[in-house]
Amino acid sequence: MTAMPFIKSEATRGRMLPVLIVLLVVLAGVSLVLGEIAMGPARLWAGLTGTDAEASLVIWQLRLPRVLVAMLTGAALSTGGLVMQAYFRNSLASPDLLGVSSGAAAGAVLIISAGWAALAIWVLPLAAVAGATLATLAVLALAKRGASSERLLLAGVALNALLGAVTSYVISTGELFARSSQLLFWLFGGLEDRTWLHVWAATPIIVAVALVWPLGRQMDLLSLGEREAQSLGVEVRGLRRRMLVLATVLAATATAVAGIVGFVGLVVPHALRLAVGPEHRRLVRLCVLGGAAFVLACDLAGRLAGGLRLGIVTALVGGPFFLWLLRKRA
Amino acid sequence: MSTNAPATDSPVSLRNATVRGRLRDLSLDLRPGRLIGLVGPNGSGKSTLLQVAAGLLPSLGEVRWSGRLVDEIAMPERARQVAWVPQEARFEFGFPVRGVVQQGRYAHGDDEAGVDAALARFDLGALAKRPVNALSGGERQRVLLARALVTAAPVQLWDEPLAPLDPRHGLEVLLLAKELARAGGTVVMSLHDLRVANCLDEVLVLAHGELRAAGKPETVLTAGLLHEVFGVRARTGETLILELP
Repeated sequence: MTAMPFIKSEATRGRMLPVLIVLLVVLAGVSLVLGEIAMGPARLWAGLTGTDAEASLVIWQLRLPRVLVAMLTGAALSTGGLVMQAYFRNSLASPDLLGVSSGAAAGAVLIISAGWAALAIWVLPLAAVAGATLATLAVLALAKRGASSERLLLAGVALNALLGAVTSYVISTGELFARSSQLLFWLFGGLEDRTWLHVWAATPIIVAVALVWPLGRQMDLLSLGEREAQSLGVEVRGLRRRMLVLATVLAATATAVAGIVGFVGLVVPHALRLAVGPEHRRLVRLCVLGGAAFVLACDLAGRLAGGLRLGIVTALVGGPFFLWLLRKRA
Repeated sequence: MSTNAPATDSPVSLRNATVRGRLRDLSLDLRPGRLIGLVGPNGSGKSTLLQVAAGLLPSLGEVRWSGRLVDEIAMPERARQVAWVPQEARFEFGFPVRGVVQQGRYAHGDDEAGVDAALARFDLGALAKRPVNALSGGERQRVLLARALVTAAPVQLWDEPLAPLDPRHGLEVLLLAKELARAGGTVVMSLHDLRVANCLDEVLVLAHGELRAAGKPETVLTAGLLHEVFGVRARTGETLILELP
């Protein structure tokens, strides 16, 4: 950003895409191989192709769903963060800091406690989207586009506290046996016991990312000012609405399948912007890959550290990064 | 200045434009081929008027471009007709200067026509790869003007373009504005420095959101009007005159 006197060369920027693809493949491979039942590449292949029954079960029913949910969650949160940053013209905006993820969690928890989550696979994600939408509307009411960072972040602090309290209250009044792990899941996301059901529930992420894909150029113009963008020929009203809906769906769906995973939407777009500059057409692609790789890496680190939850790992990485950003802006 | 029927030959005409608390019942027709200055005290509605004329701020009343209601014109076509330069811009993200200028071509299929010429014209060649949020206020203003220039829009509405500029760049912007007007364009710029009034073809004087006077600068900017609108005493005499070499 400001610290950078010149934009990086085209060659450096072009290299990011292949680097991230390789990183993602390697991380996915390692995630599939590592675990209580360790296996080498040969056994991984045997498991994937089904020639080794035990390996096949471990990979297809336990590890692959987890890897896929991790990748989809990461892609959703980082792309959602990128869209929100362009929308609010503020690089500190992200679904978790603004309380949108908390809204999704509160919506999900309310539906679960009402006993409706089991009705159909789409009920829980839909409740998360509803909660996230309400939180988004609240943020909009509290901080207008282009509002100062202080105002935006304070709105997020207030919403996070309020919605976190709703979530905690609902869970703490529920059945005792389910409390502790459920509470942890909805306040600090995790990828334990993810199944194909979660993978299917996360498929709206693919649709939303595909719809964000072509908006890059318009987001460039919007991120430099609403009136300016309109005067240059962008249909600002429609664009804003689309961006808000997509960012909300991305954050809500990710939260529905992985709980609240903080800081991904802040750290990944920011790091990539430092690496390749602010053009959104390029950033959208890289955020999808980079977010997926980041969450996979954090999940892997948590597993290697003896079962640390994903949300805790991303907070351990993202918290200091956030503080560094605040310091740099001050 | 304006009758009640909108002039279809006017690139921008306003009828009874009203924005609550900022603009009151304002009607005018901008003429092509003129460099028009918009003057008035702080808070008199200059920025509001420019934004309403640019179709960026809704108002009660009518805004027509060449006889067509602005609300009925699609955004990309609007961008090819009228360019607007804000008084100041806050850049959160570090887009390279060249990229920001090239945004002016968005409504033309994002080609690069005129981008390098505009960079050269505004002395931005050496800054082309710099992140725009690392520039000084005056440099940023030149970037915004260059972006407006590459739109090739015949109507150019500039909100205090001269304020942050050094004398040399200020004079160059005035010269460019004159060239655009001579070539048949309509250039409106709000300004506070009345010493440049002699460069203008026409002056619009705003006070309290109303059009107070309009016409040739030498006939409009009388000592009486300056006293009434700005509360200053005007004197003519020896003064510093700056010109491009």
